[in-house]
Amino acid sequence: MDWTEKYRPRHIRDLVGNIGVLQTMVSWAQSWSPKDRPLILYGKPGTGKTSAAHALAGDMGWDIIELNASDQRTKAALEKIAGSSALTAPLSGAEHKLIVLDEVDNLHGTADRGGAKALLDIIKKTQQPMILIANILQDVPAELRSRCEPLQFRSIQARSLIPRLRFICAAEHLQCSDTLLEEVSTRAEGDVRAAITMLQAAAIGKKVLTPQDLSSSSKDERSTIFDLIGAVFRGRSHEELVRQAQATGETPERIVQWLEGSVGLLPDYQRVAQAYRSLRRADLYLGRTIRRQYYLLWRYAQAIAVIGMAEAAQKQGIHARISPPTRWQRIGSARRQRAIRGDLLHRLSSRYHIPERVLREEYLTLFSLLVEHAPEHYVLELDLDADALNLFLHDRERSVMIVKKVKEEGAAREKMATSRAPRKDTSPGGTQSTLF
Amino acid sequence: MEADHTIWIEKYRPLRLADIVGQDEIVQRLQSYVKEGSMPHLLFTGSAGVGKTTAAIALARGFFGDSWHMNFRELNASDERGIDVVRNQIKQFARISPLEGASFKILFLDEADALTPDAQAALRRTMENYAHTCRFILSCNYSSKIIDPIQSRCAIYRFAPLSPQAVKEELHRIAKREGLRVSPEAQEAIVYVAQGDMRRAINALQGAAILSPTIEENMIYAITSTARPDEVEALLICATGGDFEGAEALLECLLSERGIAPTELLNQCYRALVHRKMEGALKVAFIDAIGETDYRLSEGANSDIQMKALLARFVLHTRQE
Repeated sequence: MDWTEKYRPRHIRDLVGNIGVLQTMVSWAQSWSPKDRPLILYGKPGTGKTSAAHALAGDMGWDIIELNASDQRTKAALEKIAGSSALTAPLSGAEHKLIVLDEVDNLHGTADRGGAKALLDIIKKTQQPMILIANILQDVPAELRSRCEPLQFRSIQARSLIPRLRFICAAEHLQCSDTLLEEVSTRAEGDVRAAITMLQAAAIGKKVLTPQDLSSSSKDERSTIFDLIGAVFRGRSHEELVRQAQATGETPERIVQWLEGSVGLLPDYQRVAQAYRSLRRADLYLGRTIRRQYYLLWRYAQAIAVIGMAEAAQKQGIHARISPPTRWQRIGSARRQRAIRGDLLHRLSSRYHIPERVLREEYLTLFSLLVEHAPEHYVLELDLDADALNLFLHDRERSVMIVKKVKEEGAAREKMATSRAPRKDTSPGGTQSTLF
Repeated sequence: MEADHTIWIEKYRPLRLADIVGQDEIVQRLQSYVKEGSMPHLLFTGSAGVGKTTAAIALARGFFGDSWHMNFRELNASDERGIDVVRNQIKQFARISPLEGASFKILFLDEADALTPDAQAALRRTMENYAHTCRFILSCNYSSKIIDPIQSRCAIYRFAPLSPQAVKEELHRIAKREGLRVSPEAQEAIVYVAQGDMRRAINALQGAAILSPTIEENMIYAITSTARPDEVEALLICATGGDFEGAEALLECLLSERGIAPTELLNQCYRALVHRKMEGALKVAFIDAIGETDYRLSEGANSDIQMKALLARFVLHTRQE
């Protein structure tokens, strides 16, 4: 039996780490009414999001329905499964049914056509508690995000993880030293599932575990790329460097990026220039490889990059920390910006019946001016969140404040409306309340 | 005796884990899974011909005995790489209970790094939800192309390229069974052409064995259309010594008389250069020149002109130094 399933926490109190977030979930569940917004749990893999949702349902005595990326999530499929259960009470006599939508950052373009829209409809109509789960919050369609309460799950610290591992060892009658457990939890990098998998892989067929048992079963972390860069700077033999580059299991593209990231460790500009002479050639081969789909060319990129870089480093070794290429962070944030902008254009386009291309080319300046003058109006009209508003205002703090204020006003208005007409369908969000 | 038309890489694929050569540490761990009757999901990474598929099948045999076919399914992700494969074929297989009283079944997904990220995302919950009926073995060349959430669900095994010893050990086993005599030089030649890839080694051996039961060095180079390492070295010595005419004559001989493909010769020059003792900056320039030639050939340029231009560049670089 897979230990990650066998030891999946059954109760909220069994979960490791993220105590504050778990408390929020519990109080959300205890006071839940159909007016409450769904939760969206996000964070890195193996931090307990799915487990928390299941454990919560268990603790509350609720039924649970789960849909994840392994199910097809077209509009029709979603409505059939989640739609009907969202409206009806459970048959089993449980008080509620928790609807869990896992991996909502992975709605697939064609195979899940219409899925985001259908999810949105379900969220609007649901009479049952819902939890959405994602790794990256920004990859969740914005109109879904804006109707949910986000809760971040953070990586689990080694010191919280070790007791859990020790418990599992005891339950499996496995002898295991503390140093070994420390090693496991460090290598897992905050990922509980990776830690448990590692432990199980090493433990099968053994009663006593020693650190050597871990060797070939670790999470495939980046330590080897550090070894490679270290070897490049120490000036190991060329064939050794090429061999080691292959052994990292990284694509040449990533190796070149890591090497470029370490250019800053070179002592002077002459060396930097020398390094770039090789890296730019390597980069050219990467481009050719992809464009021509001729993967033999990869090896030239790799060899030129590692040998060229070793030449530039002149066996001086490394006297600073090696860190992941900063470019990756920039790519991440640029992608986020693009997603926000794309989403905004889409909304403007459907609201004002103007093609996105025309909007981008001719109307953006106008809209910027309009929004600048009456931000509250447009937040309401387009259902903007702070990220989207900030694209116009370029003032993060002000954007957050305006969106918050508009939301509070909307909530107050809704409260008044419902108290006057209690049977009216409560649909959250500003657009509807102004339109109807 | 029935004439042997079967391909040896199948005929001599090790059936038991214990017969796999050159991956001792991995084999040992996998054997303990069999002994225990249990295993986690696995991720095998490594280049071609190092034993990933063989290990997966041997593992299945170990768990399920002769009826392993019933509980083992192999899918090649590069043939069917979309999200539908995961949602239909894989799920279909995973959710049906194991047969013949086995406690789980095994799905072997070859070239899993060819799956799109979407398909990989769809795979992750399937791996968990059906863990009680189905274990996954994923195999790939580059583990960094497998998304983190899947890596964290698998025990990861890195298969290293096979050592010369391991290749020779396997050659001995086959030679003995087939009644071949393989000279020590021929063994070295096979190790050289194989580059750590057992499939390539066995193919070279079978090719030579069709010609004669006594296998000599030259047969291996001929059958694989490979230049001898000393010929490659001679070419490089000529070129780096500034002797363009000499290098040109050697090149002519290798390409037209021996029938070696230009890209293969480039491959061999590249390998020789990486190992060669020479000044680093010059080495980078040489490798770059080879890469450039390789690229131009792939674009359809004339190989005679490009290969000679390459030699000219070698000579020029050397004289500039």
